Amino acid sequence: MTRVLSTLLSHYRRHPGQLVMLLLGLWVASALWSGIQAINATARDSYARADALFDTQLDQLERRDGAPLTRGEYYALRQAGLPVSPMLEGEVVTQAGTRLTLIGIDPLTLSSDNAMAQANTSASLSDFLTPPWQTRAAPDALAALGVARENASGATPTLADGNTLPPLVLAPALPPDTLIMDISAAARLLESGDEITRIVAAPWALAEAPSGFILTRATTLASPGQLTESFHLNLTALGLLAWVVGLFIVQAALGLALEQRLGMLRTLRVLGVSGRSLVVALCLELILLGLIGALAGIASGVWLARVLLPDVAATLGSLYGAGVGQELNLPWHYWVGGLAVSLGGLLLAGSGVLWRAARLNMLELGQMQAWRGGYRRQLTLMSISGALALSVALALYGWLRFQPPGDGLVAGFGLIAALLLASALWLPPFLALVLKVLTHLAQRRPLIHWAMADMQLQLPRLSLAMMALLIALATNLGVGSMVGGFRLTFLDWLDQRLVAPLYLNAPSEQYADIDVWLADRPEVFERLLTRRSDATLQATITPDGSRALGTPIELYGITPGESLTPHWPLLAIQQDRSSAWAAFSDGAIFVNEQLATAENLAPGDRLTLSAPGANETLTIAAIYPDYGNPRGQVLMASPQLAARFNAPPSSMGLVLNDNANVDAMRAALRERFDLGSDALSDQAEIKRIATEIFERTFTITRALNVLTLAVAALALFASLLAQARNRRQQLAPLWALGVPRAQLAQLNLAQLGGAALVTGLLAVPLGIAITWGLVAIINVAAFGWRLPLYLFPWEMAITLATAVGVALLAAALPTLRFWRASPRALLAEEANQ
Amino acid sequence: MSVRRLRNLLLVLIATVTLILYGCSDEDPTSTSSAGFAGLGQDVDGFQDAGSNSSLTFPADHSAHPDYRIEWWYLTANLEDESGEPLGLQWTLFRQALMAPSKRPEPTPWAADQLWMAHMALSQGEQHQVAERFGRSHSQAQLNTTQNSQAGVVANPFHAWLDDWQLKANDEADNRDFDNLTLTAYSGEGDTRFGYSLTLTAEGPLVLHGNGGFSQKAANGQGSMYYSQPFWQIEGDVTLNGETKTVSGRGWLDREWSSQLLDARQSGWDWFSIHLEDGHKLMAFRLRGGGDDTDQAQGADYRSGTWITPEGQATSLANSDITLTPQATSAVAGRDVPTRWRLEVPSAGLDMTIEAPHANRWMTTSVPYWEGEVVVTDHASGEPLGEGYLEMTGY
Repeated sequence: MTRVLSTLLSHYRRHPGQLVMLLLGLWVASALWSGIQAINATARDSYARADALFDTQLDQLERRDGAPLTRGEYYALRQAGLPVSPMLEGEVVTQAGTRLTLIGIDPLTLSSDNAMAQANTSASLSDFLTPPWQTRAAPDALAALGVARENASGATPTLADGNTLPPLVLAPALPPDTLIMDISAAARLLESGDEITRIVAAPWALAEAPSGFILTRATTLASPGQLTESFHLNLTALGLLAWVVGLFIVQAALGLALEQRLGMLRTLRVLGVSGRSLVVALCLELILLGLIGALAGIASGVWLARVLLPDVAATLGSLYGAGVGQELNLPWHYWVGGLAVSLGGLLLAGSGVLWRAARLNMLELGQMQAWRGGYRRQLTLMSISGALALSVALALYGWLRFQPPGDGLVAGFGLIAALLLASALWLPPFLALVLKVLTHLAQRRPLIHWAMADMQLQLPRLSLAMMALLIALATNLGVGSMVGGFRLTFLDWLDQRLVAPLYLNAPSEQYADIDVWLADRPEVFERLLTRRSDATLQATITPDGSRALGTPIELYGITPGESLTPHWPLLAIQQDRSSAWAAFSDGAIFVNEQLATAENLAPGDRLTLSAPGANETLTIAAIYPDYGNPRGQVLMASPQLAARFNAPPSSMGLVLNDNANVDAMRAALRERFDLGSDALSDQAEIKRIATEIFERTFTITRALNVLTLAVAALALFASLLAQARNRRQQLAPLWALGVPRAQLAQLNLAQLGGAALVTGLLAVPLGIAITWGLVAIINVAAFGWRLPLYLFPWEMAITLATAVGVALLAAALPTLRFWRASPRALLAEEANQ
Repeated sequence: MSVRRLRNLLLVLIATVTLILYGCSDEDPTSTSSAGFAGLGQDVDGFQDAGSNSSLTFPADHSAHPDYRIEWWYLTANLEDESGEPLGLQWTLFRQALMAPSKRPEPTPWAADQLWMAHMALSQGEQHQVAERFGRSHSQAQLNTTQNSQAGVVANPFHAWLDDWQLKANDEADNRDFDNLTLTAYSGEGDTRFGYSLTLTAEGPLVLHGNGGFSQKAANGQGSMYYSQPFWQIEGDVTLNGETKTVSGRGWLDREWSSQLLDARQSGWDWFSIHLEDGHKLMAFRLRGGGDDTDQAQGADYRSGTWITPEGQATSLANSDITLTPQATSAVAGRDVPTRWRLEVPSAGLDMTIEAPHANRWMTTSVPYWEGEVVVTDHASGEPLGEGYLEMTGY
């Protein structure tokens, strides 16, 4: 067996290029896949740590009147026998400017099975409770604190405000960017006096809310894991795509390696090696190569993840407020899983090769023509499978049409995958058909006729690479259009919503005075006060009946005035815009698209909203787009929100007259009200930040997209390289018949360029279909908003050019070889024929 | 005696550490301390020391003594319900100073220098329900009100509280301060709810143990301030398994504080409080180890006690006055615990058998120990003599 194996492997010694190509395919496939899995695993670990912490695992009490909780109330609750615990939460700013969440707890009353309790260290309780106290922090937080890992333990970093943190104790189970300490130490740092942020209890430890309080159960608090699930599904789908495309390379390289060893295999069989041992030896070869490729791929995947992780973390942080550690945190099953997926893919790609080796006919000659006969059958099979994949896609589409919008994320991905598969499977039969027609048409022009016939011979080898190219191009186009369309919509939407040149963000008690002062300023055209508050959506009342819910939502108040109402985008209204706005000013509400999608709401429906001290049932007058917001939001006129829900002011937009001086206004405000430097921001600044967040969101998508296309180019290159020798055999007779080399080289390039162009043309409608699937199904299900379908002809042209360029580039090297081959070598090829 | 309380203190420390910071640990807490049971044999450093020259003043001494390291208010009761079925209960509030008085933090919100722990137990037949609570406080006097602190003890009117577990002067009685108290403590919900709401009436005077209230705990002079009210008549309601019954009977309250209760060599104790039918009371304890003033790692046992007449006249019993012999053990919580004893005090003419009718009185608290009701019979005739409570630690 060893001898058989070493004989088989000796092939690669003579053709190191094939080995490189094979390993490259494996490497690329498993690197992209495992890189994305590493990012997902790290993010999940961070969410799990955050989930395991307090917010999502503990029931919470708030005062019904919305006033802050105090120490006295906490003691009163304890003396009434309630198993509650106090908690302080605030932000501290490190010297580097990073904001960290500071949580103060009372370990004596916090239920002891909580994760905090397990943030275990060797320190004693008394060290935690008494001066100098302790700061528990995950190693992820050290960088922000400016502390090196090796001297982290016991370090006392200084904060931006000059305060010093209690000595650090590392607690890897804590979420990143979170510091935990005793409530007495936290009260000092946060200067919270007798106020506490929340009163918590173990889930269901309280049968009902004590009078004067609202009880929020842990289960109704959204966890970061749930919010970000769709984001990770997107990443996973892209990773899977890269993996599939990488396997095309492997398949091409393996097919070639077998083709060229057919003679060797026959010889071995004739020498008495059984078919079974031959297959076992080939299997061993595959596993050996697979292990090398997969290990290299996983190593690079981890590297890739490390490079991409800061962007992913920033995206998740800005989109969902979910903290993701900057350090990779990989469980053991990640490594095993990565290896299994790579090897599984290899065996899948190699199964065809093994099948053919097992059925090897000892007497059959390696004839191209015979090959072609087999290929006919294959084309029929591909057409049938393609039709099957298409019917799956159609079935999924039909099913999705009957689902409420916002459902069917997985089905949406399934639909796109089926569509891609169907197109890929139909590509070779389609190319064959085109060639047949062209061959027929070119009967009068022998050279072109020959080129077409020759192309038909090349097709079996090229078809897989072309399929990979088609998938990569279509995905590239689809994702590119989606991102581009989103960008246009988003910027437009930002412009519509940010109508004031100056935005004020002051302590809420100052707004009344500021408002009075601004009212007398002649240069102020309009004051757009916003308010916000949290509430619970208790029930929806629709024509289909009413439904009880307990969903937390955000209440947001705007000032409907001349500046805002003409531009504010609305998606659905009952009659016309002006009546919607009139109703809005009178106390009707608008809901954002996310909420409308999630709860299946339309204008005219009614919502019952409750917040501390208030309970109102209001009518929906319109639905508006709210890109980038993971939460459901209800919009009300600011005065209505203040009257009904007692919501505090949160910001104020200042619309100035045309000739007003923005800088003078800013300076006057700052001086008059003693405002901090960050209390006033420009429209331009806000737009810049929003755009930056947006760009970061799609950095990874773009990076993966480019990588996928690169992999497809590699696959094509591998296939062409693989048949370069054969090509010389085919071209040599023509050269001998007197066709000039230059013409032959052009013919060669034209053949491939043409095939790529056809593939690229096919990729365009497929790409549009994918864009549609992304904006109309996947985005709605994943984020809750639907985007208009934008198409970018210029990008399509670039995609086509890319396809042809990639093909020509891949064809260039073999063509160059032929060009530079000596007449003697060509004659020798001729003699071989 | 209070030795048991000592372990509790340890229990506070170790328990909270293990419990809170490590989750539940099965480790034997006694094995982690090299300084007597539950760290109760630690040096005094910076704390006030209990000594024979200390004297007691009432009602001031009913309140907390934060300058001492440890302290407790410890009530046990032998009751019976309407149908005459016996029932036992325990309620204890432990205080431990987190630091020496000179190292206390400023009294900012939540800042604490005292750690509190409370245990409650209710036992009838084979049933034995246990609960535990923790709290914190700052010892600065003006903070010691129920509005400002989760736990605390003040003297006049008397009020000891940790959350809703409270022992306090009875508002409804003609209040002679410490002679009329109420005790309330409940735990759990629905079917598992248990607890009590009781009135306590003293039918005799306070009893000071040892030398004017200084009770020596080892031959080297180590000890604590220790007094009792053994004459409680108790009435009230208890709830067990969500069912409420009316009960009545006798109770015994111990008060003890110290900065170093035990000799570092002492590993545990056996403590008895006995109500005899003729109206006499007896307190006796045995500290295992530390009984002589040598440097041996494991010294002899140290015994002490107090013989109390029905009028409250107390006579201290020295090491040589008491003979205490374990006679049978029961397997409880994976250990062998002596549940039948012979106690002889020849000077009082006593030779008694003391037996726990139910061995499963293991306190599954953060520092575990055994505490339960006992019946007392004459050793020779087997005639019933009385009832009481037994506490055993370090097994």
